Amino acid sequence: MSDDGWPEAAVDYVQAIADTKLLLGQRYGEWMLKGPNLEDDISGASNAQDEIGQVRQLFRLLKRQGVDDEWLESERDPEEYANAATLDSEAEAWPTFIVQAALTDRAAWLLLDAIDHDDFTGMVQKMGEDEYFHLEHHDGRLETLAADQPEAIEAALKEYVPQIMAFIGPATHDAESDPLAAAGFTDRPTAEIRRALFDHYATLFEGTDVSVPRLDDSVPDPEAWDATRRRVGDGHVDADVVDQLQGVSNREYVIA
Amino acid sequence: MKYHVFTRISAGDDLMHVGTLRADSDRLARIYAHRTYDEEDWDFIGVVREENLIEVENQPIAGGRRP
Repeated sequence: MSDDGWPEAAVDYVQAIADTKLLLGQRYGEWMLKGPNLEDDISGASNAQDEIGQVRQLFRLLKRQGVDDEWLESERDPEEYANAATLDSEAEAWPTFIVQAALTDRAAWLLLDAIDHDDFTGMVQKMGEDEYFHLEHHDGRLETLAADQPEAIEAALKEYVPQIMAFIGPATHDAESDPLAAAGFTDRPTAEIRRALFDHYATLFEGTDVSVPRLDDSVPDPEAWDATRRRVGDGHVDADVVDQLQGVSNREYVIA
Repeated sequence: MKYHVFTRISAGDDLMHVGTLRADSDRLARIYAHRTYDEEDWDFIGVVREENLIEVENQPIAGGRRP
């Protein structure tokens, strides 16, 4: 798509990707000193930096589409963040965190990679170079954890898969009915992205004791799905997390 | 497992040993090496399992006499 204008639904789509990356940066940051070894901590810190850098680029594009600068950066309430529901709460244990980060980072990448618009060409390619190392790290970790702690991985998949499918979107958004694919903003409908995510993990865990929840076309319920926040229900991150994202406690030191 | 990390800055240079890391798999070792030793725009970065290094030992040479 070469026209500069975005279809109406595209702003919400990019906002949800950007907010998810913002929260991914936060969650990576929380875990970067709590991983099982120094190498995981360093990788987590690098991932956090990458995500925040990507958020800056996506926010820049959103501002060009008329999204208010102050609202984006510092004037939002928790329920106005459109992050994937998988990131509403900090994971309680390392295996849970790896599943949380793996599913969410891969889903956000698949949604970003589906965009077919000149504003994203080049930028998405660079982001893909970052993401290769994130996703390889997750998959490498999931392979070892599937052998060592299959029950923990399976429980986390059961918790997060419905939420990540809601973030990607309803199965009813196929090649004919996905509004962004129909408008030419994306070149891959939601239904295909859902299948790609499921197939990836089904293959990854093949031959292990971990079962991936089946791809359920009724989740999310299209009637209950919030297209703006890409989830079902009104859940959100905690207010203290939003304070951290907005730098509330250190606002007096902001350079004017 | 312990891995040794080797790099070179320019094509044609000899490989330099820049450090070590620990990883549960070769896949993870590649990622950890990239993330941990990312201070240069390397032409090449690679990892070797410590168990795959071949030790060069002094061996007493046989004198050729039959016992």
